[in-house]
Amino acid sequence: MRADRIASLVMKGALALFIAVWVMVAVIVGAGAWRFVSANGLVGPLLSSRWSPLAAHYGILAFVVGSMAVTGLALVLAAPGVLALSVTGARILRGAPQRAFIQILTLFVAVPSVVYGWWGLSVAVPLIRRLTGTAGFGPLSAGIVLAVMIVPTFSIMALQTLRQVPSSLVEGSLGLGATEDQTLWHVILPASRAGLSQGFLVAVGRALGETIAVQMVIGGQSRVLSLLKPGATLTTQLLTDLALMPARTPGHDALDFMALWLMILMAVLVWLQSRVKGMSRG
Amino acid sequence: MADGQWRGARPLKSPGQGRAAHKILAGMAVLAVLLLLSVVVPLAAQAVPALNAAFLFGRAPGAIAPEAVNTVTMVAISAAVSFPLALLAGLYRVEFARPSRWTQAFDQFTGTMLSVPSIVVGLVVVDVAVVRWHWPVSTLTGMLALALMNWPLTVALVVEALQSVPGLYRDGSWALGASRWQTVTRLILPLALPQMIEQGGMAVARLMGETAVLIYTAGVNVGPGWALGGPGESLAVHLWLLRTEGVTDLASAQAAATGVVLLGLVFLVLWGSRRLAEWLQDTA
Repeated sequence: MRADRIASLVMKGALALFIAVWVMVAVIVGAGAWRFVSANGLVGPLLSSRWSPLAAHYGILAFVVGSMAVTGLALVLAAPGVLALSVTGARILRGAPQRAFIQILTLFVAVPSVVYGWWGLSVAVPLIRRLTGTAGFGPLSAGIVLAVMIVPTFSIMALQTLRQVPSSLVEGSLGLGATEDQTLWHVILPASRAGLSQGFLVAVGRALGETIAVQMVIGGQSRVLSLLKPGATLTTQLLTDLALMPARTPGHDALDFMALWLMILMAVLVWLQSRVKGMSRG
Repeated sequence: MADGQWRGARPLKSPGQGRAAHKILAGMAVLAVLLLLSVVVPLAAQAVPALNAAFLFGRAPGAIAPEAVNTVTMVAISAAVSFPLALLAGLYRVEFARPSRWTQAFDQFTGTMLSVPSIVVGLVVVDVAVVRWHWPVSTLTGMLALALMNWPLTVALVVEALQSVPGLYRDGSWALGASRWQTVTRLILPLALPQMIEQGGMAVARLMGETAVLIYTAGVNVGPGWALGGPGESLAVHLWLLRTEGVTDLASAQAAATGVVLLGLVFLVLWGSRRLAEWLQDTA
């Protein structure tokens, strides 16, 4: 029992340390964002797209729109691939091929994002350049790269969900005379709603937070949405401006402001995930 | 085929009927796999001209060995620091804390922090370690950044692994008179360990490929030899730098070769952790 008490104390300490450090991270970002808001206001910077730190104009609208556009585009482009891969892995392949298929997808989940960025620069950007006659850098290329990047993650989660649909449901549907296709659309996919939403939210988080792969192909200019012209997102602008605006300069607070928005968005996504989890249990 | 035998009791439809959508999806899946392979295959193809002993192991400028050493040491040390801390925190969360609003809030907190974009972690580490503490842009600062971002992910995977052990096992152990600590160390941990190791392998693989958090913390240079306070460019950062700044043919071949080495390390970690997990599962 004494071991219990000591162990519990040590573990409590580790837990407290973890919480304290990460609360500090949030506080540091929040403090910078607070300084920024008290100097520039909360709504103004969100509605302005003029980003010129030297003239003390910190409009981040272009980056917010850029992040949303790139993420949305990636999800739309990834959706057919995710549906195809998850149905193939869960409902078509069986036995050893199925296991191999899942392992290959898992390997692609682990491929570093900088490699996807490399693919974007070497394959996607030249392709867009040839097809459209533009430079090839921009949100469209970034969306394509992100789509390829989130397909494995999202597919694995969708695949596991589809596998977990109780076979009683599937066999009941087939037994009533429904075809395999009808069973897929009307029984299996609706029954997997919760898990699919979960995978969707994880994919949104991964796309929204991705920095390096997007930075390599988006071009890096503050411009409100043009799919084929260089743009920027919240994360890529953080990456490029972190070097230009050292700490304790006014511009640096703007970076904290953007970082705080990213953290808030992630918190919302995680909260939504917990709601979705409740949905599947209830 | 069996029409003769089944006269009068013919099935309403043949088993192959009504699978058109499945066939279309299978075809699309083949295309999707080809698309994914188009990420890896050209990388390997372009890497061929640069993949030689001098590039991999040489000491000449441009050789990859210092970056590989930086990557492996930074990842190994930061993982070795963050895993035990996360294990203790996760153990308390699952095995000792009573489920309540607070444990729920903790799970949300961990989930949020593990999905914070890595560049935000980089921003905070630069502010604190480099600016306030005057740490150099070095392997040491890089390790701090990696350990920090690995921490919540590892807590989450420990919690998940522990929760996958059925509660009845704990009840049984307590009923036999074991304390919580005994239950955890003799029963729960050995059962949860394989999953922790396999998921831990994924976490380490993620650290190896991490780029954004390291650019301003570990830097984009390498020193003459490995040092804790020396510049600590990693393989992933090297690949990023070569591909975004280098324009020569040699640079692009070297970038691809760096990518191949990085992928090799990542797959090695995944394979090793999986084998270790399988071995533990078999001996348990």
